[in-house]
Amino acid sequence: MAGHSDSNSSEKKSSEAMNDVPTFSAENLQNNMKVIYYSRTFMSIIGGVLAGILGFTGFMGFVLYFLVMAITSIGLIAKAKFSVHAYFDSWNRIILDGFMGGLMSFVLFWTFAYDIVHIF
Amino acid sequence: MGLGVIIGVFGVLILSHAAYSTIQYRGLLKIMEEEFSGPPMNVVLELLLGFVFCIWAALTVPGKFLSIHPDSEENRIVSLSANLDFMIFNHRAKAFPLEIDMKLKH
Repeated sequence: MAGHSDSNSSEKKSSEAMNDVPTFSAENLQNNMKVIYYSRTFMSIIGGVLAGILGFTGFMGFVLYFLVMAITSIGLIAKAKFSVHAYFDSWNRIILDGFMGGLMSFVLFWTFAYDIVHIF
Repeated sequence: MGLGVIIGVFGVLILSHAAYSTIQYRGLLKIMEEEFSGPPMNVVLELLLGFVFCIWAALTVPGKFLSIHPDSEENRIVSLSANLDFMIFNHRAKAFPLEIDMKLKH
């Protein structure tokens, strides 16, 4: 039996729960996760540049990072028209995904911007 | 998406202009030998404006959310996999004359 690729097919995924069978299209879920990832990465970079220009050092910068991520989460939920379950299978995806990866980009661009504006 | 990219570029330009203003402000502070406590108010406003533009671009450029319910309106057409397992070539089109023969006859 030949294997099939699921990268460009609308594949259904079902669980074995007895009381409800939540099926969803995994390809669309993947597309939505990609959108969230791009949005969060870009906002982490912009947040880093903002922290560098404002001259934050130490703890205040991370406070700004959490603030930018919270604003991005609210923006993404608004983009999903507040009905998260029509586009994702759990709340965690839209709120927490991409958090840690964005932190690295944030610190990198924070350091860049701080050096460019305040040191050189 | 084109408008989103333009607004994103605009937001980045505003942020870099704000950075340049802050650099100049720091130069001024060095001359007057004061400490840097924060950028001036108009730079903060400019940063906020650039930030808002970038948020808008970050939410619109990457693409739309697609519904994952299999029975929603936009998921009506289910496409089979476009891989070779489902492509057959042994069909009636072999009854057509070859295109090369058609061209030669003209």
